[in-house]
This record gives sequence, C-alpha cells and structure tokens, in this order.
Amino acid sequence: MKLVAQLEEFLHSAKSTPSRNDLGIRDWRILVHEASALSLGIKENSPGSVYTPPSYRQGESGDIYIIWEDGRLTQAQVQVPPQHGASAYWQMQLEEWRQASYEDPEGADIPLPEPLPIVAVEDREIERILAGEDELLFEQLAKLLQDIQPGINLNASIQAGWGYRHVRNSKGLAVSYQQSQYALSYSFDSLVGSGFAKRRLIRPEEWDNLWKRTKIYYKALQDNAPEINAKTVVVFSPSVVGSLLGQFIFPNLIGQSILEGQSAFKADEFKANKLVFHEDLDLYVDPLRPLEWGSYLVTPEGVPAQKTVLIKNGSLQTPILRIKDAKKWGASPTGVSSGTSGLYLESRQEKPWEEVLSGIEDGILILSVLGMHTQNSASGDYSLSAPQSLRILKGKIVGKRDVKLSGNFFKDLAFSETILGQEEMETKPYLVVRTGVQNM
Amino acid sequence: MKRKEITEIVQSILQAEGLETEEGCYYVVRAQSRREWTLRLTNGRFERVLTVRESGIGVQAFTPEGAAGFASVDALTVEAGREAMKRALALAQRNARIGAELNQEIFKLSPLRAEGDNPAKLEFDQFSLEELQEQVLFLHKRLVDKGSETSWQSTYRQVEDIWCIGRTDGTLVSYVVPRAVLMHQGTVREQGRAKNALAQRSGVDANLLLMEKEDSSLEQKALERADFARRVCIAPSLPSGHYPLIIDYGLAKGLAHEAFGHAVESDHMKESVLGENGKLKKGLQVARPGVHIIDGPLAGDWAYQPYSANGLVRETVEIVKDGVLEAGLGDVFSAREAGMPVTGAGRAESYGSIPLPRMTNIRLIVKDELALPNTSGLMDEVSQVRKLLLEKGELQQEGKHLLLLGYRGGQVNPKTGDFVFQCDGIIDVADPELTIYQPSIFSGKILSALQAIRVGLGGGCYDAIGTCGKGGQSVPSSGGSHRYLLLDQDENVSLGGE
Repeated sequence: MKLVAQLEEFLHSAKSTPSRNDLGIRDWRILVHEASALSLGIKENSPGSVYTPPSYRQGESGDIYIIWEDGRLTQAQVQVPPQHGASAYWQMQLEEWRQASYEDPEGADIPLPEPLPIVAVEDREIERILAGEDELLFEQLAKLLQDIQPGINLNASIQAGWGYRHVRNSKGLAVSYQQSQYALSYSFDSLVGSGFAKRRLIRPEEWDNLWKRTKIYYKALQDNAPEINAKTVVVFSPSVVGSLLGQFIFPNLIGQSILEGQSAFKADEFKANKLVFHEDLDLYVDPLRPLEWGSYLVTPEGVPAQKTVLIKNGSLQTPILRIKDAKKWGASPTGVSSGTSGLYLESRQEKPWEEVLSGIEDGILILSVLGMHTQNSASGDYSLSAPQSLRILKGKIVGKRDVKLSGNFFKDLAFSETILGQEEMETKPYLVVRTGVQNM
Repeated sequence: MKRKEITEIVQSILQAEGLETEEGCYYVVRAQSRREWTLRLTNGRFERVLTVRESGIGVQAFTPEGAAGFASVDALTVEAGREAMKRALALAQRNARIGAELNQEIFKLSPLRAEGDNPAKLEFDQFSLEELQEQVLFLHKRLVDKGSETSWQSTYRQVEDIWCIGRTDGTLVSYVVPRAVLMHQGTVREQGRAKNALAQRSGVDANLLLMEKEDSSLEQKALERADFARRVCIAPSLPSGHYPLIIDYGLAKGLAHEAFGHAVESDHMKESVLGENGKLKKGLQVARPGVHIIDGPLAGDWAYQPYSANGLVRETVEIVKDGVLEAGLGDVFSAREAGMPVTGAGRAESYGSIPLPRMTNIRLIVKDELALPNTSGLMDEVSQVRKLLLEKGELQQEGKHLLLLGYRGGQVNPKTGDFVFQCDGIIDVADPELTIYQPSIFSGKILSALQAIRVGLGGGCYDAIGTCGKGGQSVPSSGGSHRYLLLDQDENVSLGGE
C-alpha cells in the first residue's frame, strides 16, 4: 500500500475514532513525494567512474502536520513502514507525535480546498526515461565526452527525476499530480562551468548555446587581461546573481524572519511600502511559469500556487507569507519559493545581454565567487573573492583577471546606474553594478 | 529499527541463497536507520518540534571488470535491498558498455566483521520529547531574559544514525553515530544595521542540555557574541591588505579543513595543488617545522565515525608532520592511484549517497605554544592575547595586528589553491583600544597560509563543528587547533575590505 494511502487512511481513522482521550485530532495535512531519479556523471573525462556511476534512486517520503483537539501542533517526517504490522507502527508513531506536540496558537490552521491553477510541471519524455527508455541520457553523456577539446578536464552531471506529489488535508483537499525534473551541469578544468535546471529536457539549441558560451569563457580564461581600475564596472553573471539573491534577498523576505525581527527589513517598512531598491526594479515569486524548476500547483500547506510581487517599483510590497505568518501579518498567504528557483528579478530598463555587453567600455564579468555562503545575510554586506573572472574592454571579453569584491547588495540594487541584462536561457539576469573591486 | 535487525537484513541481502547475480560481481550494501528530533524556539515561543524517521539501503555493484552502478531505496527490507542490487548491477553492466573507467580496488580488500561501540551515554529517548521541550525552553528563556535586546532563535537537534555495511567478501560492519547540538542565533541591530551572531555547543546526547543548565557556557558565549556583533554593526571597514594575523580555533579548523584537508583527499589528486601527476606530493615542505595537521575520529565528537562507509576502519592520519606533507586521506577506490595508503576515508551523507573521501575531525597543532591564561569573557580573553603578545615580543610594533574572530564558513578551489574564509569581526590587538572592524574576506593561497603559521596560543580546542558540502552532500565535520594561531604577514594572504 502506498504511503499516501496509508497515511490518509490512518489519519482519517485516528480523527474519527481516537484511540485515547489525549490522541484526539482536530485537523491534519500531509505532503507525500514519490520520486525516482536517474543520474549519470563524468569525473575528469571518465564516464561512470566509481564516484559518479549511473545511479538510480527511488523514494517515498511524507511530511505530516497535525492539529490536536487541544490546539497543540505536531510536525513529522515519515517513510513507508515495514510491510508487516503497519497499523501498529502508525499507532506507535501517533503516540510519539503527540509527545512531540507543541503550543503555537497562530500556527494551527488548515486551509479549505480552493481551485488550483493550471501549471505545466511534467515532461512526459522524462517519464519515459525513468520507465527505462534512458538512451537519451547516455547519448548526452557521450556527446559531452565527444565534444570536449583534448587537454581539458571535464566534470559533468546529468539527472532526470520523475514522480508524484500528493497533498491531502482533513478539510477535503486531495491533490495528486506528476512532476518531472532535469538538471545538467558541467565544468571545464574546474574553472568555468554551466548549468541547466528545469522541469523539462534541454532543447538542442539550448544545449549548443550553453556549450558555446562555456567554450568562449574557457578560452578567454587562458589569457591574462589588463588589471581593473577605478572605472571598471562589475558584471555579476546570472548564476552569481542567483547566489546573491539567495544569500541576501530571499532570507530577508521570509515573513517569519521579519515578524521575529531577524530580517534586514521591518514589518512597518512593508506597510509603508518603503523604497529599498531602484524604482525600476520588481522582484516576485512566480510558481506558474511552465516547466520551470521552481513551479508547482499547490504549496505544501495546501495553498494554490500564485504569482506574488514582493517588491514593485523598488518598494517593499509583501514578504513571503506561509499560512501562520499571513495570519499574523493580517493578509492572505502568498506564493512561496523554494530558495531562489521561483524568484524573479526584473527591471523596466533591462536589455538583452548582448546589447548590455557591447555597451560596457571597461568591466569585469564575475562567473563565480568563493565564500558567498559565509556572508552575513542581514547586513547585505559582501566581501568576496572572485578568481577566474573575465575582463571586458570595449564591449568584448578579452581575458582573465582575479579580483576581490566588497560592497553591499542592497545598495547595488538601489543604485540608479545598475543595469540588468537578460539572456533567454537564464531565469536570472546579468547585473552591471558599480561596487568595490580590487585586483588580487 | 535496532542495530541487530539492520545487521540481519544486510546479512540476508548478501547471502547466496536466492540471490540472482552473475559470477564475479561484487556488492557493497549500506543500510542506515536514522532518528532525529529538532526543537526550535524563537523569542520565547516554540516555532517547530520535528521528528524524523528515515531508513533505507544503498547498493554499489561492480562487474567483474570493475564497472560500477548504484541504486538506493527508501526502505529497509531484504526484498528492497535485493531489488536495489538488481538495479545497481544492471546499471554497472550498462556502464561497462559505455566505456566507463574501471576500478577493481574493492575486490582486493580483506573482510572485516566489527561492531563499533556507541559513544552515547544516554539512550536516544532517555528524555521524552515533553521533557526535552521543558529543558530547551528553560535554556532559551534564560538566554532571552538576559539578552532582551536581541532577537533569539534556539535550536536543539538530536540525531542517532545506525549504519551497517556489508560486502560480498563477508564484511559486516555496524556502528552507531549519535550527535546532539544546541545552537543560539541572535539578530542584533545598531543604528539601522543588522547582524547575526551564532554560538553552538555539541555533544553526543541530551547530556549536553544538562551540562548547559549547570554551567551556562553556551549562553555566555552567545551573549558575548551578540554584544560583539552589535559593536561590529557600527564598526569601520578595514583597508584591504596584508597583515600579521591571529585566528581563533574555529577559523583554524576552517583553514585546515577547507584549505588543506580537501587538497589531500585521494579522489582530488589529479586536480589538487598538492598533487603531481595524480600522486600526492609526499615529502613536500608545506609548513614550518613544528606544524602538524592530523585527521581522525574522536569519540564523542560531532563528526565521529569509527568505520568508513565502505566498511573499513577509519584511521587517524598525520597529514603534515613537522611541516612536511606525509599522507593523504585515502578511500579504497582512489588511494592507490593517488599514491597514498587506504585510510578508510570514505564517508557518505546517507544510504542514498555515494561515499567520497573526506575528513572527520581535523586539527592543526603547532609545537611552539604560548600558554593563555583562563579568562571570564570574550573581550577579556582578547586583552589577554594582546598582553601575552606584548610580553613575548610578538606584537606588531607598527601598523595593525589583527585578530579574526568567529568562523562563518569558507571555500577553496583545490585546483588553484585559492581559499576564502569569513569571520564575524576583526579586532586590532596592536591598538590598546582594541578597535573593532567589520569582517572582511580572509583569502589567499593555501600553501602561503600554511607557511605563515608560526605559534599557537592556548591549549587544544577541537570542537569547532560544521558541515562538509563536498559533492553536494552534507556530512558533519569538526576540528580545531590551539585557542588561537599566529600567522605572519604574507603577500599571498590578505584581508579584503574597501
């Protein structure tokens, strides 16, 4: 019997006929993932090495949330129990869950079912791969090895995942849908890399563009370029922008952090729509985009997916609000984002990346940084090392330069001269900023 | 699930009866059962109490030629294990057809049957969750009452990992890894700027809560760190440059782990700055005489693991002896090729992960040690450091002599030897006022940083904890050094800044 069915049946029964006075359940919700994934890898030009062999992972796990009759709460993570004695196992678990219950009056809420949006989150081709028609992934692995230039050490990973997501609650919500994931990443000589992660397979033209760009960057890294100077602008690549958003913006926009005074932003600054970034900038959560990694139909709490604007025209609008935070905030729950995958930064002044690049007289393109996760999220301050960066002169990438960066990401987003450049393949923009940069 | 049951399952999975396999194939079966309780409070109220139970089996299969495949399943039964074996072998055979790199090292191992002792003194459920809630709430409220200007979050995690590893050669190794940690994180504000401060205390079981109730050592540390963070909020930035440095043992653990330990792991030797033609540069002078770097499990430590995830004894390795590179951290699959002995260095996050060579507890020890008197507080200790350096003629006469406090993490590129670390804040101990500066990135070349280490201040502190993220996995790590380490000014080691 599937985990979702076991849990649903058990919790229905435990709610309707409690086995003990103190085990009365008022409401419950569950989120169950059934997933299988196939991954292939290349380590130092060798396919399927002992550290990156073809791997198949299969799993079924669930998150449980119970509101007891006395209002106390329980959260637990579970897996399928042993085949024999499942009923006794769940009863034993119920007693442990009761012991683990805690008081949080504002957290005790289960939403009524609402209509769900239509969002494409499954690619049937990926389902076929997991069903055994996996030749495509092996062909992609072979293509990487075939196309790599002699003398370059290639490390790569390709992963395809497929499964079901089930969300149920005691108020009648019963949603099950299939979802897929595909991720490709590779690096040349551990110096420059590229990645692609969506809910669909990569298209041939995307594959070619990604490979071509990586080759150009790798070639440029072979030549030293002139030192940077006081006029040099810093260009954060989309992957670095994603990391900056993840380190400095996302954690400060979590409703709970704001309510508890742990964020850079305060609750009254949202109420006053304080201008925190440049007025051209918008930041929003959008789980409705078809086949994006961060897209979904319903949150783990049972709230339908929705686009939520967090910052509009540079002004604070709303934090990311789960049910509990929304209640305290006096608003409805918002769309939620798992990390920065469903978070989008846009500017009314943004231009295609190629156009932005051609307009840069003197710049340095930051492909990766060391130490991002060590930065203090609440302050916005960064002090980072960026070896293997690319020098831009008169609109062209001309060679390699190692630099150090110091600045404040909040100020970067507020500065009037900050420019955004979009590239079709990327969900995050290039960001051209004037910030502290030094030669290493 | 108990260790005995898990061992019986692994034994049954591997026994010949009913096993559909091909002659000459080899399997490593890893079974894991994990329990975790997490209690989190924010500003006096419970925010989360989470119970986790997870278990499963991971199988690495090898064809007779040495092509590998892997499969895992979230279930701990003989049937699930046998199914995973079939899948893993099918993938290994598929792998052979695409010209995979072959590795037959696993076939050369000798069998081992062993049961590791459980270092915990208290059973995992010695205290009920209700009792734990009371204890953690008491400690949290005591902190909140004393540090009311700070937003506090306290988290207590208690984990019990039971592992059993079986191999085709008859190996059957089981061990239990208990871990517990109490963390206090504070957010402070000063003149519109916010900073976070973190303090943690680790152990193997809930006994650490009883100890904390008794001695309040974590509480005191958290309050001091919050006060320091408040002063850092309004501190000036430091001009970037090269300085004589003093780093605390948390940063020293980071330096040893990120900047050095990863560079001697056997799977990295082809790309490592400490490798040459794929072999460890044994005999290379990497630090001054008197500097030693050692890695190995310590009973009762956060990163304790007595056996490797491949079923070998985890050895303690003297990586650097008297400044000379002596040995690396070798797992069965790549040690020989990397020119180092197999030391049982394979560790994995879970049964669903493929083990990689990695550290346990890494410590950096210097023969020249200056005794540091015990003090009652953080800034008192910093004053003592200044006084001691003055007495011993070690303090920079002109310019700044900077003490980096608090480890916030780091990163290294083992190929280029570039490293970065971040701290909570910086204090100029050459300045009698002990001026505080904003943190800025501590970066440079790993060999230069090692060569710069000269003297240790105070006795050994090896309980700096963290999580090793190598290969996308999250595995507990730990280590340390003397309470502080002195590093000479070096052109290849710098602090960022404005």
